[in-house]
Amino acid sequence: MEIDDLDDEELAFSRNYFLAKELGGSKKKSSGKLADIDVVDEQELRAAAANIEPKHEKEIAALISSYKSLYSKWVFELRCGFGLLMYGFGSKKALIEDFASTALMDYSVIVVNGYLQSVNIKQVIVAIAEVLSDQLKSRLKNASGSTPNVHQSFTSRSMDDLFTFLNGSNEEDKDCFVCVLIHNIDGPGLRDSEMQEYIARVAACSHVRIIASVDHVNSPLLWDKKMVHTQFNWLWYHVPTFAPYKIEGMFFPLILAHGGTAQSAKTATIVLQSLTPNAQSVFKVLIEHQLSHPDEEGMPINNLYAICRERFLVSSQVTLNSHLTEFKDHELVKTRRHSDGQDCLYIPLPSEALEKLLMELS
Amino acid sequence: MAPSAAPVVESPLQSTVENIETNFQPFYVLHKASSRKNSRKSNLCGKSRKRTKLSPTGPNGIENPDAEERDGSQLEHLRMEALELVWSKMETTIKDVLRDTNVKVFDDICRWVFESFAAIRSYGTPSSSSATRPFPTFTRAEYKILFTGLVLTKNMEVVDDLLTFEELGFHLKSHGCHVASLSSQELSAKSSIGGCIRSLLRQLLKVTVDAADMFILASWYREQGYYENPVVVIVEDIERCCGPVLSDFIIMLSEWVVKIPIILIMGVATTIDAPANVLRSNALQQLCPCKFVLGSPAERMEAVVEAVLLRHCCMFSIGHKVAVFLRKYFLNQDGTLTSFIRAMKIACVQHFTTEPLSFMLARLLLEEENMGFQDGNDASFLEVLSKHASDLLSDSRYPLAEGTGNNLGNILSELKRWRKSWSVVVLCLYQVGKFSKVQLLDLLCEALDPQLLKPITSENSSRLQQEKGTSFSSSYELQYQFSSRKDGYIYQVIRKVRDLPAELLHQLLMSWEKITHCVPEIHENVKDLLLAFKLGNGKSSGKDIADLSRRHASRNGLFVKSSKPMMEKAESFLNSLVSEHMRPVECIPFHELICFKDVRKLQLALIGDPRRRIQVDLLEFQKIVKCTCCSENRNSLLPCAHDSTIMYRLAQEHGDLINLHDWFQSFKRVVSHPQAKGNHRTKQCPTPKKRKDKPSVESKSDASIQARFCTAVSELQITGLLRMPSKRRPDYVQRVAFGL
Repeated sequence: MEIDDLDDEELAFSRNYFLAKELGGSKKKSSGKLADIDVVDEQELRAAAANIEPKHEKEIAALISSYKSLYSKWVFELRCGFGLLMYGFGSKKALIEDFASTALMDYSVIVVNGYLQSVNIKQVIVAIAEVLSDQLKSRLKNASGSTPNVHQSFTSRSMDDLFTFLNGSNEEDKDCFVCVLIHNIDGPGLRDSEMQEYIARVAACSHVRIIASVDHVNSPLLWDKKMVHTQFNWLWYHVPTFAPYKIEGMFFPLILAHGGTAQSAKTATIVLQSLTPNAQSVFKVLIEHQLSHPDEEGMPINNLYAICRERFLVSSQVTLNSHLTEFKDHELVKTRRHSDGQDCLYIPLPSEALEKLLMELS
Repeated sequence: MAPSAAPVVESPLQSTVENIETNFQPFYVLHKASSRKNSRKSNLCGKSRKRTKLSPTGPNGIENPDAEERDGSQLEHLRMEALELVWSKMETTIKDVLRDTNVKVFDDICRWVFESFAAIRSYGTPSSSSATRPFPTFTRAEYKILFTGLVLTKNMEVVDDLLTFEELGFHLKSHGCHVASLSSQELSAKSSIGGCIRSLLRQLLKVTVDAADMFILASWYREQGYYENPVVVIVEDIERCCGPVLSDFIIMLSEWVVKIPIILIMGVATTIDAPANVLRSNALQQLCPCKFVLGSPAERMEAVVEAVLLRHCCMFSIGHKVAVFLRKYFLNQDGTLTSFIRAMKIACVQHFTTEPLSFMLARLLLEEENMGFQDGNDASFLEVLSKHASDLLSDSRYPLAEGTGNNLGNILSELKRWRKSWSVVVLCLYQVGKFSKVQLLDLLCEALDPQLLKPITSENSSRLQQEKGTSFSSSYELQYQFSSRKDGYIYQVIRKVRDLPAELLHQLLMSWEKITHCVPEIHENVKDLLLAFKLGNGKSSGKDIADLSRRHASRNGLFVKSSKPMMEKAESFLNSLVSEHMRPVECIPFHELICFKDVRKLQLALIGDPRRRIQVDLLEFQKIVKCTCCSENRNSLLPCAHDSTIMYRLAQEHGDLINLHDWFQSFKRVVSHPQAKGNHRTKQCPTPKKRKDKPSVESKSDASIQARFCTAVSELQITGLLRMPSKRRPDYVQRVAFGL
């Protein structure tokens, strides 16, 4: 009976997928272009995005504060050695920071902002070790009136040593731990597997408890069974807040702010300005060709090489190729097959953008 | 624990939530531990107080928040201590069981290790001059053999074997071996052979050395007392290791084997030819393998379930639905014992956080262990427990049960009595089930099903009375009896007894005799049966005859007297056992104290389902936020709904690709035209041109609508429900999830 349920579920899932595919294929592809939307200036857009009126403020505030009743349970579970993993739609940053600053006053708390692009995990671990060592020291002082004299800078220690320290015996006081609060443990800065392995090792330490949030629907794929069951020891909590992802979303480009002519010309200029004058001149040759032959597929590489040699821009095919690689890497230039079979180069920008670019370069 | 109550100094904490600076630091210290905890702990076993009402979800009292909080924290502490007691007991039981299942293999391995060590020693020890040279001794090829134990785990889930190998390490250490273990991460291409050596040095020498040099290990070994103990290196999972690195490692170890007598133990998850697939042939040549086989995960699972849920005396039980969920989870989803144990712990923790009286489990446990309370600490602890419990019991939350008068002692002894007889019945059934390969979990699920306990109809009541010849002890038991399902496992097991050959039956009766020891009334009956069996098979001794005559005198000897064939006797015994003593836990008064039933809570905590739940959040926004305006019009999209909700609902109308332009236009339509309900939910994408004729309204809000659109797209992107436009399709985003 249960197996049937499972099968049904899977069937429905695959059916939905194929239906969606079919819908995409059968319906005449909509020809609407992003460019048809009369997009306001990017700055104005950003300003407007920053000032979006929140909806249902009262209800959402009530929803978030309804989670306060869970705080004591969460603390209890942390003390039992579990990690807490919050998920559900909406930014949970404020919620868990509020939890930490009201219910976790008895423990040191370190916050890691996983939504940032880069987080140095070693520094985080050193910070945890430092906080823990302070905590242990103050306990020892309370107990015996003397401070231990072992102190070595944690930054100079190896990762393994740090883990050994964090995983020290806590027989005498099980309640001595540091809480590590990780916003977006599935965030861009923490997403790769090596990073997750380190975090998992931290989580497995006896003196550390993790409280984390995830937003991505596929975030469980980050962990294998060993990590989930023996290291993180997650308790999942579904706490949708519907709060705007203000800070988490800050690093995502606004979708409408891209793709405009002005925008792409501007990006191209920035890239080109960082290149050598010779490379810029090679690019200019391409622009000129494309402007004077707007109907052609592009400029054959041989022609480009010939012109560039004439103007003393390159001395060999190798130099030209290195320039072209640079252009291709920045997607300033693309190749396509000419009708007579040879590869030719073109710049994937409209003529207006090219003219503007030409002006900027000269 | 903190020694004294420090004065409470609470620093006023500013909420750092809105602090812009910290938002862009990769990490920062929010606050350090305050000293409040010291004071909190000291008032735990404090003065008497009167309880009014306990809410399991923390202090929310208005009238007297101070007392309420103190009380709450005290009870919480009691529950915490009880939990620690119960869980540590369960955990040690589990560990013991697992160790017991492996102990034979461990002993075999240990013996083999020392045999191999003796073989290595027989090559002769290196002279002191050669031993101090920083390179391996040059010896004949046959001295470069590395003794290797291949441990077949019969289990693809490495996570279950981590503990096994850890235990194996302890076992070998206790026999004097030097043990180090290498994980598959350490044997990866990234950390390479240097990483392995460093790891060995760290584990054996307890120092971190930058130079990865085997000579350091060799000189350490020499200092350890010459050639007395073998060095064992355990590789947990050979299939996950990087083949070339492991091969190099093996070749290197074999070079050094005369100087450092290293013996390798490798875990193999698949088949015995795994090393041949992973290693290079020159490494393979160095190995002298020996095979060991561990128990299968299913066997271990049975053993753990039996120990924790049946034999274990900590009293913690699970309800029927929880058992069914756990079985399904183990069979269909995760399949690891580790996850089962974790689920048990979660169940335990959930029970202690939600059930106010759960701390009484600690009392049951202590009573069980100490018998009398000689220990002063325990006695005072129990006193505190009882006081709180009586306070809580007077609460109307618990119905008054007949016969107990809500007296704590009665309740607890009743629970204990139930638990003993119930587990004895299930164990008896399980003994039979073993012959027909019935899984214990299946049996358990059925035995816990409260629906199978049915009121006795007059006819089967009289039949039962006749069969049994005794009266029932309490009115409660009079009215109900357990009747197994016709297609169920219990029924099947009872039928199975009939088909057992005499030898197995004898075996069965002997095992029953052992199991029922703790419940005298059942035990007597089993003895009877056994006696009858012996008489029937001519196996009786003089002592049995004497026993028989004694039994004849008593009214108990019904099995001996009856002239039915032995199999039928056993079957009817089992039948009466089930109908009489099988009381699913949820039918016992006050089972709430010891039984965890909330399967949903367990499921939610154990398996987060972000993929589904986040989509549901978006689609059913109004249910979660509970706003009145949106709940009224459930089926239409209103502009007051959350922007991302509107967007995601609109996205459902598209195929796998969403045209951004169309999407934007429909979004704009929804948010700027509240009156146009229903219209926008047609399958056809709205045409954008219509909007052009109202420039005045639009220009004002254009930027804001576009901004809202962008933000909503970003939010959906954060949740991973959308894939952004590619260069090839700049005007389309891709849907990722189809259906919940």
